[in-house]
Amino acid sequence: MSEAPLLQVSDLTTHFHTRAGVVKAVDGVSFALKRGEVMGLVGESGSGKSITGFSIIGLIDPPGRVESGSVQLEGRELVGLGPAELRKIRGKQISMVFQDPMMTLNPMLTIGAQIRLALEAHEKVSGSEARRRAVAALAQVRIPDAESKVDFYPHQFSGGMRQRVAIAIALLHRPKLIICDEPTTALDVSVQAEILAEMKELVAELGTALIWISHDLAVVAELADHVCVMRYGKIVETGRTLDVLTRPRHPYTQALLDALPSRAEPGTLLAGGAGAEVAPPPRAARKAEPAPGDAAHYVRIEHVAKRFAQTPGLLRKLGQRLGLAKAPAAVQAVDDVTLVLRRGEALGLVGESGSGKSTLGRVAAGIYAPDSGLVRIDDAPVMSAGREPHKITTRVQTIFQDPFASLNPRMTVGDSIAEGPLAHGLVGRAEAKDYVRQWLAAVGLDPAFASRYPHQFSGGQRQRVAIARALAMQPDVVVCDEPVASLDVSIQAQIINLLIRLRQELGLTLIFISHDLSVVRHLCDRVAIMYRGKIVESGPSAEIYERPQHDYTKRLLAAVPVLPVA
Amino acid sequence: MLGHVAIRLLQALVVMLVMSMLVFVGVYAIGNPIDVLIGPDVSQELRLQTIARYGLDRPLWEQYFTFLGRVLHGDFGRSFVFGMPVMELILSRLPATLELTLAAVFGAALIGIPAGIYAGYRPDSVAAKLIMTVSILGFSVPTFWIGLVLIMAFAVELQWLPAGGRGETVSLFGVQWSFLTANGLSHLLLPALNLALFKLALMTRLARAGTRETMLTDTVKFARAAGLSEWTVLRRHVLRLIAIPLVTVFGLEFASTLAFAVVTETIFSWPGIGKLIIDSIQSLDRPVMVAYLMLVAFVFITINFLVDLAYVGLDPRLRKGGAR
Repeated sequence: MSEAPLLQVSDLTTHFHTRAGVVKAVDGVSFALKRGEVMGLVGESGSGKSITGFSIIGLIDPPGRVESGSVQLEGRELVGLGPAELRKIRGKQISMVFQDPMMTLNPMLTIGAQIRLALEAHEKVSGSEARRRAVAALAQVRIPDAESKVDFYPHQFSGGMRQRVAIAIALLHRPKLIICDEPTTALDVSVQAEILAEMKELVAELGTALIWISHDLAVVAELADHVCVMRYGKIVETGRTLDVLTRPRHPYTQALLDALPSRAEPGTLLAGGAGAEVAPPPRAARKAEPAPGDAAHYVRIEHVAKRFAQTPGLLRKLGQRLGLAKAPAAVQAVDDVTLVLRRGEALGLVGESGSGKSTLGRVAAGIYAPDSGLVRIDDAPVMSAGREPHKITTRVQTIFQDPFASLNPRMTVGDSIAEGPLAHGLVGRAEAKDYVRQWLAAVGLDPAFASRYPHQFSGGQRQRVAIARALAMQPDVVVCDEPVASLDVSIQAQIINLLIRLRQELGLTLIFISHDLSVVRHLCDRVAIMYRGKIVESGPSAEIYERPQHDYTKRLLAAVPVLPVA
Repeated sequence: MLGHVAIRLLQALVVMLVMSMLVFVGVYAIGNPIDVLIGPDVSQELRLQTIARYGLDRPLWEQYFTFLGRVLHGDFGRSFVFGMPVMELILSRLPATLELTLAAVFGAALIGIPAGIYAGYRPDSVAAKLIMTVSILGFSVPTFWIGLVLIMAFAVELQWLPAGGRGETVSLFGVQWSFLTANGLSHLLLPALNLALFKLALMTRLARAGTRETMLTDTVKFARAAGLSEWTVLRRHVLRLIAIPLVTVFGLEFASTLAFAVVTETIFSWPGIGKLIIDSIQSLDRPVMVAYLMLVAFVFITINFLVDLAYVGLDPRLRKGGAR
């Protein structure tokens, strides 16, 4: 009997009945999981991997419905069970951990209260008993000082600690199976590494089986015994993790692996990311073309500092003076940073969340005025001097992480792209239409898309539009702030290829901000590692990656999960 | 925290001061009370005497500072019409309005919030659709008309409830209250219901919108995945997460009802403060108007302050010193 699977999923089919028609989110998925086994469920967004998880645990909300198939836990059929029966299983026998620990815990309740609710879901416990067990549960997931942390609220924890709390809640009743839906995606690499290591230990210790849902093949490789690759609601390939990742049989798995920048020679075009090779429109002649300055010191970021503090109101100031109120805490986001870029160089700015990399990027792009220090391109300052400095050049432009947030939803993308160049006289009103079409073609989009609105595009297409919009301003320097962070690997490969190609064609100088070390290594000549507002180390990419000097860099590099190589 | 409270009190003081200026100047601009106070056939001498007695011959700023000085001593002046101190007059009418408002607002919250949560939890059920239809009615039908219909139905046709007045009252802490007697309660029911309908609709819709949104969050999914019952999810998670907008609206509605229950009070001849202010506007009873408007400003500031404190109580993220 010991060989019987813990979980047997057979031909599971979950459909969503929307007005636009039936979406086959999960389309005949079958797999089996033994006691204590770890399975990776890998796929890009929309592949149905999360819906598979929710279908197993019986949490599909209308308009979704498990249409057919079977989910058997130790031989007991779960599909078709009533809500009360399913509730008894959830948390007790199968539990779940979600992606964003910010969103999963209730911000209004203490950790202890939330653990107590989860305890009371399946047994009767007294207040003191609940507290004792909450402390034990937190200690189990390596939360230091659990005794006092029980009374904390979620916002008093860091992201990693919050995810540990969620895992503690999932482990509370010693379930036989935990489904983890991208549990480390929202976390920094170093925190991800810690959680992965702890998860491995806990699973071994408790004999819990794990379904680890992720888009990240390297993370899955660290943890899973075997892996299922999903696409369009179907499992396209399954097998032992090492076999699948080193000798993929399905072309889709191969394509996923090839799209990873970590597996390609730095600077080369990635596989699967081919696009139309249309040259961008020619630059408008500048009124006064500046004399080519010092090419080795093209962009100069000199002693830049930026601090964020709440501006107190009149009365609050008075209160502070009278000692009634404390001054609001200030954050030193960037602390005396100096960086120099060669003309045409690509500099990667790497750091974890809160390191100040985005703030530095925004100062460099003239979005924020620095408190002190200066940014110059070709000897000309980016910001005006004076009490209220503003950006005085179009030579530097920015591409943001989320194009949906950075494009005006009520403007056609054509108007969005043409807006800046028109305002700055880079193109006449008569030629604007053609100009926009040329740019859309150059970023690999159909020129006819100019009349569409942002919501009519996919994430990758929107990022192309954002790139076209930034480059249509004919900048010399482009600041890219995590431009591929929210994209699937195959789309990410396309955007990276686009950036590589356009950078060469236009001779751009690039500041590329990212938390993803492999993307930076692939794209950038030089890397600067940022930590708590300071640059701790910088140098040529190869050198930093091969021979890191600073402790923080070493830790950061060690934390990155690595794919097994055949 | 204490510093925060002190700053809020300072802010309140500034608002009150600005309000007093606005009110004083505004009321000054709307007409000369002398024309109302004394007949046109009075001799010019007596007329000038009266003007001098009330200080109406002085420049505006001087009148304002005299007024401000008196207010600081708790003296809002005497009513021109009733001939008694304004504060006394207002305080004698306030309890009636207060109990009517409390009944209406709490009634609306106690019925509206559960109804709204249900409608948000089961948006496709027949009951939810019924609740939402009724709430649209509550929004769109004018208060005075509903009041008349209520009187027609329950007082005239069915004769279950009285049509107006306050009924028997009992003295508690030296104030007359009618909710403590059966007869008083029966008098309270119709006007309170009339006042509550709009708030009921508002609370219902707010609770529904909040619940619908909250039900889709990961917090609820995670709680369900941990095996919490639906009832626990609604009571412990959803209610807490939707509470802040509800408390905001509750506070605002409470304040505005307290200040402007005038239509309902008129229809049900409820001897409250709303009727007093309408009468004093008609007779240009300046001290009463000024004192009343100041009181309204005070009520709004106080309630907003309490709402702010409630936020802090509800949401730990707003507590000072609680952050890492």
